[in-house]
Amino acid sequence: MAGPSFVPRAHDIYPDDVPMAAPNFFDVPADESPLQQLIRHWMNERHSPDILPGQEDVLGGLLDHIRRQSNTVHLLRSDPDSSEEEHFRIMLAQTEIERVKFVVRSYIRTRLYKIEKYARYIANTPEVQERLSQAELNHAQTFANLTEDHFNISVLQALPEHQRGLDDQTPFTPPMIPEPDKSRAVFVHALDDCPPVRLPDGTTLRIQKGQIVLTPYAVVEQLLGIGSVELV
Amino acid sequence: MALPVSLRNSVTPPELELIASEQLVEIVPLIAMERTAFISGAYGPLRPPTKAKIPIWMAMNLKFKKKCHIVPPDWLNVEFLQERLIQETSRPEFSQLPFRFAEVAKLLLDVAQDDIQNPDKIRSLLKDIREARQAKSREGLQKIDHSELSLPNLCSMEINEIRPFFVRAMGVLTHITRDAATEARGFDGL
Repeated sequence: MAGPSFVPRAHDIYPDDVPMAAPNFFDVPADESPLQQLIRHWMNERHSPDILPGQEDVLGGLLDHIRRQSNTVHLLRSDPDSSEEEHFRIMLAQTEIERVKFVVRSYIRTRLYKIEKYARYIANTPEVQERLSQAELNHAQTFANLTEDHFNISVLQALPEHQRGLDDQTPFTPPMIPEPDKSRAVFVHALDDCPPVRLPDGTTLRIQKGQIVLTPYAVVEQLLGIGSVELV
Repeated sequence: MALPVSLRNSVTPPELELIASEQLVEIVPLIAMERTAFISGAYGPLRPPTKAKIPIWMAMNLKFKKKCHIVPPDWLNVEFLQERLIQETSRPEFSQLPFRFAEVAKLLLDVAQDDIQNPDKIRSLLKDIREARQAKSREGLQKIDHSELSLPNLCSMEINEIRPFFVRAMGVLTHITRDAATEARGFDGL
């Protein structure tokens, strides 16, 4: 039958005989599937205090895949005389769609949370803006303006002129524009042997593949950027 | 807010289970299914009684409907865990276990008890291993400073468990060191 079906795609992500040789429990398959990539970026985003570069390509690819898979499921369901085997495939495909949707949603929500929290910092920092998608950037700017207007209308306009600022730098008080705390510690798992990084105490650290280290985010920021480490 | 408070600083065990259940597990299928393309990859064909490898979530799903037997992974048996427990209690370092062993063990023991030999013994071994390792984590806290702490062979669930406390501890130490440094510079200036 030429109708819709779950045709295996070009090549398999997992060969049938995954080598079971050395008990290297950390071995990441050489080519991560898009879903695994998204899961990695999702966890990185959840653990990192800063906003990481948005993974629009991975996300877009997966959303397309979800759409295609949903269409297939929909068409197959409308077929009244499908076999029991087909029922199982439909059920499994639907379960997976929901699982992937969960990860996608949680990833986007995590970013949204940080964007709203640091909206004014983002609006003032072009370097961070580069890590956001256009939609996220628009949201950050609108959100920053909205809160600013709200503060002005509800309180600030009734205050004396010199107390109206929203970015005063008073010593010994927390800054008025919250910024990501890059000194917060994160658990890092090295995916590769990493180039040496400088620790806050002045020494250098060379993280080896497979190692797990607890260290301030600022130390591994660059390594995370090049994908040599993941946060766990 | 976009993200509930409970999810802001850590991930939850069910989320870790979701990630762990992407891993593959061997099953003995009881239904036939052609090779099928899923989002995470293509799996199958399932032809009873030939073993096949599919993601854990899929295996759990079929298991619920009594359409497969799950073959527990190499490390989920009494002998292996017994040996790890001995290592764990006799040596100071963490023994090597799969990164997501706690999640996988829980998922499989929950749904596929009847496919695992001696599940009760395995449960109690896992509990003993967990306790031995927890004690070591707590001891590791002594070595924490403001810049780096290496944690070889620590597992996903254990990291998640110690995360809030360790992250805060390191944060406090960072503060203390930073304050001390500024103070020292202040004295130099005098």
